[in-house]
Amino acid sequence: MGKKELKVAFLLALRSLQRGSRSSVILTVLIVGMCFTNMIFLPGLFNGIGQSITKQVVDYEIGNVLVSPKSGDQYVSDLGATLDLINGMPGVERATPHFSRGATLKYRQRVLGATVRAIRPNDEKLVSPLYTKMIAGSYLGDGDTGEVIIGKPVAGDSSVKEEDEFQSSLGGVRVGDSITIDYGNGYVKDYRVKGIYYTGWSQADSAVYVTSADMALVDPKAVDNADYITVKAKPGYSEKFIKDELQQYGVSEKVQTTSDLLSKVMGRALQSFAIINMVSMIVSIIITTVVLFIVITIKTLSSRRQIGILKAIGVDKEVIMHNYGFQVIIMAVLGIILGLVITLLMAAYLSAHPVVTPEWSATLYLTPMDLFLNSLILFAASIVAGYVPAYQVSREDIQSAMRA
Amino acid sequence: MIGIQDLTKIYRMGSVEVRALDGVTLDIAKGEFIGIMGASGSGKTTLLHMLGLLDLPTSGRIVIDGTDIAKLTDYEKTMFRLYKLGYVFQDYALVPDLTVMENVSLPAMLRKDRSEEQITSDSALILQKTGLFDRRDHLPRELSGGQQQRVSIARAIVNKPDILFADEPCANLDSENSRMVLDLFREINEEMHQTIVMVSHEDWHKDYFNRIVRLRDGKVVSDDIIERKAS
Repeated sequence: MGKKELKVAFLLALRSLQRGSRSSVILTVLIVGMCFTNMIFLPGLFNGIGQSITKQVVDYEIGNVLVSPKSGDQYVSDLGATLDLINGMPGVERATPHFSRGATLKYRQRVLGATVRAIRPNDEKLVSPLYTKMIAGSYLGDGDTGEVIIGKPVAGDSSVKEEDEFQSSLGGVRVGDSITIDYGNGYVKDYRVKGIYYTGWSQADSAVYVTSADMALVDPKAVDNADYITVKAKPGYSEKFIKDELQQYGVSEKVQTTSDLLSKVMGRALQSFAIINMVSMIVSIIITTVVLFIVITIKTLSSRRQIGILKAIGVDKEVIMHNYGFQVIIMAVLGIILGLVITLLMAAYLSAHPVVTPEWSATLYLTPMDLFLNSLILFAASIVAGYVPAYQVSREDIQSAMRA
Repeated sequence: MIGIQDLTKIYRMGSVEVRALDGVTLDIAKGEFIGIMGASGSGKTTLLHMLGLLDLPTSGRIVIDGTDIAKLTDYEKTMFRLYKLGYVFQDYALVPDLTVMENVSLPAMLRKDRSEEQITSDSALILQKTGLFDRRDHLPRELSGGQQQRVSIARAIVNKPDILFADEPCANLDSENSRMVLDLFREINEEMHQTIVMVSHEDWHKDYFNRIVRLRDGKVVSDDIIERKAS
């Protein structure tokens, strides 16, 4: 098959698409485009959800690396020395302890169970973007006592009746109001609400934050103990590097990276996502293959006499086969480009307007490799779908073709 | 130029055997304009298809320009058709999505011994000769039947074939257009010494041939040389 033959095959293909049935071409390109979008959209959305959850877990729960108590211990002890050690290590932006207690919140007639998290506000700023999520009032200061910040769902909305609430709340607490916290150990205290925040991460939004200094009054263990320490890595340092460093420098507590934790917690969810993605991809490939197969089969069957004539005047069967092959390639490429445009437009839209649920918010997370691989798979499937009928018809003998 | 020896073609239709050609022996010389005539079912088109390498004989031998065509592979037959033979079909058989110019150039584009410039100039020349140069950018559906058949003739001769086969080229044309097409064949035959083998069942076409072979039930029943007056 020489250059001239390929050139003729391409000319025949191009002219057939340009001057043949335009509606058939447009419809085929549209179907390929939609199949491509379907192939990439669901996995992209699932990846987006995964990324969003990971980011929120990092931002509001565990940072990049989590230092938690040794097996058998309840707390990370000797907190001051441990924090000094961690904060002095290369690659560590900041380490900050969390100490939580279950408590009952009371506001007017409303009673609500919640977790009270004790933090060191200034250190927390270097680890979590919580301080940027204040929707009313202000963030805690290190020396604050008798003040709390609470999540928007905890504060509630005074215009919504208790029985109509999706999630129980204090029924409309505002900045400056006083709420009572009963820690269950006999310590009950009134706190002034200093600020209300909303992060979009339900665990954080259902909590109440106080300073470590305040918590020390509730439970003296909070002075030199923590439930866990969250560690933020400096840009350019990997979680694995920080983990290895911590273990090497003698941090005897349990050290886990976000990936370690998420692979266990989200492993099953990710596995389910992967199965759904695979099913979605296979369905898209089957649809594209069948559609292109049908389109080319119809084209070849309705052009059998034409094909016979071409062979009679000396056009080689390879040229005829590649003619239909090129038609499929052109339609597949146009379909994939259309699919890419639709997908990228949707990605841009979702980036500006993420899909938000009470549990997560998601955008379309796509990598160039995802786009490339999906394009390649669809392209390969299209070629198979087009060349099979083209091969069959090009092998038919001239007499049978011309009699058709 | 063409030697045909004891050519037989038998079609099987279920248990019935149809003898389309029954021992045809014929020689065709270069430059002849030969008409193969006979009633419907006499074997004219079958013979043309055998000579044009479009079908295989059941037995017998065809030698074209010293080449025994039975010995050619599929690919060699395709190349033989491309380089040495030209065809004009009853229903014009043009590619509907190609313009007149593209249709005419198509066989030339596949030849390895033709440059782009040569293809363009040859196609333009042929179209001028057939009077369709000003229609070169039209699609076949924009032309009349007679014009389409002239395009088909232009496509058949653009490669300057050794033999031009025409299978009832006037069957779909009125008498005026038929005459125009036959005049073109005669002109090509006389000016270019083009060998033409044409199948026809119209008696008045014989005025154009310089040899008429009549078939009946797959056999040659007459083979007459016609002295034509200079036109």
